[in-house]
Amino acid sequence: MDNDRRRELWLPHAMSRRRLLAGTGAAVLFAACGGDDDSASPSTQGGGQPTGGSTGTAGGPATTSGGPATTSGGPATTSGGTPTSGGTLRVGLVGSTNDLIDGQYIVAKADQARLVSGWDPVVNYDTDFNISYEHSLAEEIETVAADNYVIRFKEGLEFHNGKPVTADDIIYSFRRRIDPKLNLAPGLAELLGPDGMTAIDDRTIEFQLLKPAVTFINGLAEYTTTIVPVDYARFDGDVSNQIGTGPFMLESFTPGTESVHVKNPNYWGSGLPLLDEVQIIDFADAQALTNALASGEVDAAVDIPFAQVSTLESDSNLRILESQAGNWLVITMAIDQAPFDDVRVRQAMRLIANREEMVERVLAGHGRVANDMYGVLDPCYPKDIPQREQDIEQAMALLADAGQEGLTIDLFAPDDTAGLAELIAVFADQAQAAGVTVKAQVLDGGTYWGDEYTKRTFATSFWSTRPYLIQVAAGSLKNATYPETHWPSPDSDFAETYDQAIAETDDSARCEIIAEMQQEEYDNGGNLIPFFYNLVDGHAANVKGFEARPNLLNLDHYGRGWKNIWFED
Amino acid sequence: MGIAKFVLKRVLLGVLTLVVVSIVVFALTQALGDPVEAILGREAQPASVAAMREELGLNRAVITQYSDWLSGLVTGDPGISYTNGVPVLEVLGDRIWNSLFLMLVSALVSIPISIAIGTLTAARRDTAFDSTSSATSLVLASMPEFVTGLLLIVLLATNVWQVFPAVVRIRPGEAPWVDVGALVLPVLTLTLGVVPYVSRVMRASMIEVLESDYIEMARLKGLPERTVVWRHALPNAIGPTLQVIAINIAYLAGGVIVVENIFNYPGIGLALRDAVTDVNVPVVQFIAMLIAAIYVVVNLLADVGTILVTPRLRTRLQ
Repeated sequence: MDNDRRRELWLPHAMSRRRLLAGTGAAVLFAACGGDDDSASPSTQGGGQPTGGSTGTAGGPATTSGGPATTSGGPATTSGGTPTSGGTLRVGLVGSTNDLIDGQYIVAKADQARLVSGWDPVVNYDTDFNISYEHSLAEEIETVAADNYVIRFKEGLEFHNGKPVTADDIIYSFRRRIDPKLNLAPGLAELLGPDGMTAIDDRTIEFQLLKPAVTFINGLAEYTTTIVPVDYARFDGDVSNQIGTGPFMLESFTPGTESVHVKNPNYWGSGLPLLDEVQIIDFADAQALTNALASGEVDAAVDIPFAQVSTLESDSNLRILESQAGNWLVITMAIDQAPFDDVRVRQAMRLIANREEMVERVLAGHGRVANDMYGVLDPCYPKDIPQREQDIEQAMALLADAGQEGLTIDLFAPDDTAGLAELIAVFADQAQAAGVTVKAQVLDGGTYWGDEYTKRTFATSFWSTRPYLIQVAAGSLKNATYPETHWPSPDSDFAETYDQAIAETDDSARCEIIAEMQQEEYDNGGNLIPFFYNLVDGHAANVKGFEARPNLLNLDHYGRGWKNIWFED
Repeated sequence: MGIAKFVLKRVLLGVLTLVVVSIVVFALTQALGDPVEAILGREAQPASVAAMREELGLNRAVITQYSDWLSGLVTGDPGISYTNGVPVLEVLGDRIWNSLFLMLVSALVSIPISIAIGTLTAARRDTAFDSTSSATSLVLASMPEFVTGLLLIVLLATNVWQVFPAVVRIRPGEAPWVDVGALVLPVLTLTLGVVPYVSRVMRASMIEVLESDYIEMARLKGLPERTVVWRHALPNAIGPTLQVIAINIAYLAGGVIVVENIFNYPGIGLALRDAVTDVNVPVVQFIAMLIAAIYVVVNLLADVGTILVTPRLRTRLQ
């Protein structure tokens, strides 16, 4: 039953269940098991690139940013009309008894929705994925040097219980984030030590990093980098200690069933939130969730199966909310293993792919073609590199040059990440035209991500939206968390260029370095990236405040903790 | 041999059955996959794999694992959920009662309906009513729950009429009967799965009884047909049907798993699905044993019940 579900033509579900954050949850639950160093980098949902520099110097990359245009996949969700207060919003999502609530950590999408309700981030991204102080606790970040930052928080911030936010709480929050025992954000822990913070006054903290890295600001902009009160700990049956600064306070939580969040009367955003209560309801199955939305049992639903979108669109009481995101699937080629140790063979594979067809057949159209480069939402994403198109003739010529005509090769995918099995099947079809026999091998998820993962010659993987440099550290360096393609090659200075980039505080200079790195991966890399897929959610027509725009998180960043959401009478 | 002795013998046989089932369940759950790899996923590094193996007690000999598990089951401690470290009984908690409630209501609705339909179709053999209901039950019998359930949702919850909710929501701490309307579709789905079988057996059994000498006698005495059917024939026709009723009630224990998944009903079926996905072996094992136990108990009750309602068998024991 489960395998059938996973083979359905839609993506988000399986990922949200087990693979959203590469399963970092287990490492925490079984903290004693160690493996900390190798665990996932800071919660994957990052995106965009900080403007670096101090406040307001968004100038540099703004010209290159532009960002992807908002999709108009479904009927555009307008937030017209005058917002009214009150009401209970029922949000459905796929969850399980493994759901958790932690103000600074998530495993699955259900956890995301709950975290965002109760805890505000230090900073945020705007729709162009530049650093923004809106929806955020920080008022200003001053980049003194690439390894020295001063963050001033907004004035008058209070926790749910009315206690003012103090420097102690802020320092505690960061120490908790980097605590090796909790392993919440190993990437941030590499940059910041427990003694790296000094309170300048009660809302201003100086951060001295262990090494120069402008990606620190990306770490701040993760929605899991929040402020919690001193002695905060993960939900363990008692809601009274689940205290944050966010628009809603946790009233009850039963993992796998539901959580109830009530309006925070002390919220710092004036006049917000609008709703009285939010209920986040778990569904075991996306089909049941879709039915619940259609029959009015929930007001909003996270992740509509792509195959169901058109049915729901035809219902005048419902709205589809489709947002572009930077999530991607990938076919990986190990650049140091035959036949992919020859760049011509890698290039041939990339030329075999018909990406439009992959978007249609794997995503039912709910995505956009990619160009073998990731970090698409990053303001430094190069716009001038030509789109790679299918070119069977050239692919065959390259294979002939490399002495690999008539190549036969195994291509692996796991059965627990929706879309990957379809992707390799489509690729195998397309490869036939070039005389290449691709044997699509779908493995049980446990086996796939086991010992052989990152060792296979020709395989697949998935990644969520991240800024370019954060993604490089996760997958494209020799000491990366998941070195899937074994990039870079020994004769490349890619790693040095990366070090240069993360030490560069000038935005436009850094973007130039990034463009160079992107070009190198585009020319020689081992990633075949066919597409970025959209976030597709649904809600009742009388729910207002959701906007379709490029986003990191579903339901318009969960209505930024639901505070913008209201019911039309 | 008295009835007590017979019951005792059947109970012992039931226990033996459960022990055999436990061996099978244990062996099969070993084939689910490696729980450690499933839990760690992409970050399964040798060190963390070894540590988790130790933590979950997977380093012990298989025989030891089995005997520890079995003795835990008997003493009411079926182990700890792999995924969150919470005792299995706590993870399942209310879900067990929710599922049992759904089974019970479905049985209470479907069994009387089946008996009534079986009796009526037998009494009105070869009428339009008989042939219609027979054709309908054949169609229904050929449809699995996930088809009937989804059809009912399309018909009564989402696309055609929006009469009943498409999902069941039982709030934590609330009893499953708080929102009766929400129970209609899941109960109806299970009922449509049971009625065709039980009513057909009931009809056959009833026809046999209606053709017997003592019914002929009752009719000759001039009793009204209504009395003949409901007072004289029915009690005698139920006995042979009890076994089929038992099989169907036991079958409900499996049916709820499908139905719970269709309607997001918070019972053991949903939990089982989660547990299988996560290779959460202790939860899978416990639910499998629970369903096996329901089978054994229901069949035991049916055996005893058959004897009690069948005079010939009852007297033979005494």
